[in-house]
Amino acid sequence: MNSTNYDACPECDLLLKPAQLKIGEKAHCPRCGLLLSRPRKQSIERTFALSITGFILFFPSVLLPMMGITVLGDANTGTLLSGVIALFNENMWPVAIVVFLASIMFPLVHISLSLLISGHLYFKRSNRYLVTWMRWMYHLDEWIMLEVYMLGIIVACVKLMAIAPLKFGWGLYAFIALIIITTLLTSNLDNRLFWQRIEQLRKENNNAS
Amino acid sequence: MQAKTNALSQGFIRCHDCGYLVKTGNQSLSCPRCNSHLHARHPHSLQRTSALLFSSFLLYIPANIFPIMTVNQFGAGDPHTIAGGIVELIDSGMIPIGLLVLVASILVPSSKLIGIGLLLLCTHFRWQINARRWTVMYRIIAFVGRWSMLDIFMISILVDLVNFGEVQIIAGPAATAFAAVVILTMFAAENFDPRLLWDNQKNL
Ligand SMILES: [Zn+2]
Ligand SMILES: [Zn+2]
Repeated sequence: MNSTNYDACPECDLLLKPAQLKIGEKAHCPRCGLLLSRPRKQSIERTFALSITGFILFFPSVLLPMMGITVLGDANTGTLLSGVIALFNENMWPVAIVVFLASIMFPLVHISLSLLISGHLYFKRSNRYLVTWMRWMYHLDEWIMLEVYMLGIIVACVKLMAIAPLKFGWGLYAFIALIIITTLLTSNLDNRLFWQRIEQLRKENNNAS
Repeated sequence: MQAKTNALSQGFIRCHDCGYLVKTGNQSLSCPRCNSHLHARHPHSLQRTSALLFSSFLLYIPANIFPIMTVNQFGAGDPHTIAGGIVELIDSGMIPIGLLVLVASILVPSSKLIGIGLLLLCTHFRWQINARRWTVMYRIIAFVGRWSMLDIFMISILVDLVNFGEVQIIAGPAATAFAAVVILTMFAAENFDPRLLWDNQKNL
């Protein structure tokens, strides 16, 4: 089977000969224009480092207060998690679950998976779950909505400023840092390279045993 | 090999999960690299997409007529619909933010519903179109969908923070319907297979 000599465009199914790209070059599909690959410098090392940072940042951004307001002498602060709980307490559990998954659960799982995968590749360790982790990470990607949540924070701030004075907390700063890290993470993660390395590791492992 | 051929017509299937190109005919229906099931095109793409689209159309109505949140102040309730919240923002001079919410909660969902509907009609009736342009439209639809969740996240923040004895913000029934619309249209876009647009073109 020599199918690896060819490639197909995921959106128009054009049969392609994959180009050998250097760092900094991009390959677009000649028929539909889709960005096919874009090799990154030290993709595994950078993904590993960014995953560790993101994983650490995740906890303060979920647990520390992001914002606080004071109305008639009463003060209230909110965290990512307390927003979910507030919706639950109002019996809006379908919405609460959606917010919980998109802003807490999926980002955590995604960053843990990328930590596990890049860690294994960095230390050249084989693991039979690598393939499953890669597939989960791929499917989760679309459902992580941290940047959207950030816009939600901005709009909420504008609305709240009309009611009462606002205060920002460490949770918000950690959250902004987390968004920057996850954005860098997705742009540095070279899917194609990761799959190639996983296959290599598996072959080496099969030869060794 | 011709300059432009479909992988499928040459007997290749691209694995959806890992991108591996597999020569069909060797009877294996799972990807040798990642073990996921192989399909030349997304299975039942049109049926699934239209079912999801139809449900989101139905839910889009309550999402827009019922209040998405209610502001309770000193015993008096003030319900807001999605459109009402935008009008209020613009009235109070917050025009850029008002426009942002207008785009995210009204323009994006409605153009998404129409866009996916058009894509379905196009593939069903095998319209001869500029497939490249339509693929770009699909790509935009798939990309912008998640940004509509903005309103839902904003409500979760407001409900949590504005919770005092005399002043309270409560989420309304439209929030559930709207979140469902966003998620269903995201699934609809995910289930649509843009390669069908190309398959139907007689002369490429
Ligand atoms: Zn293409
Ligand atoms: Zn595969």
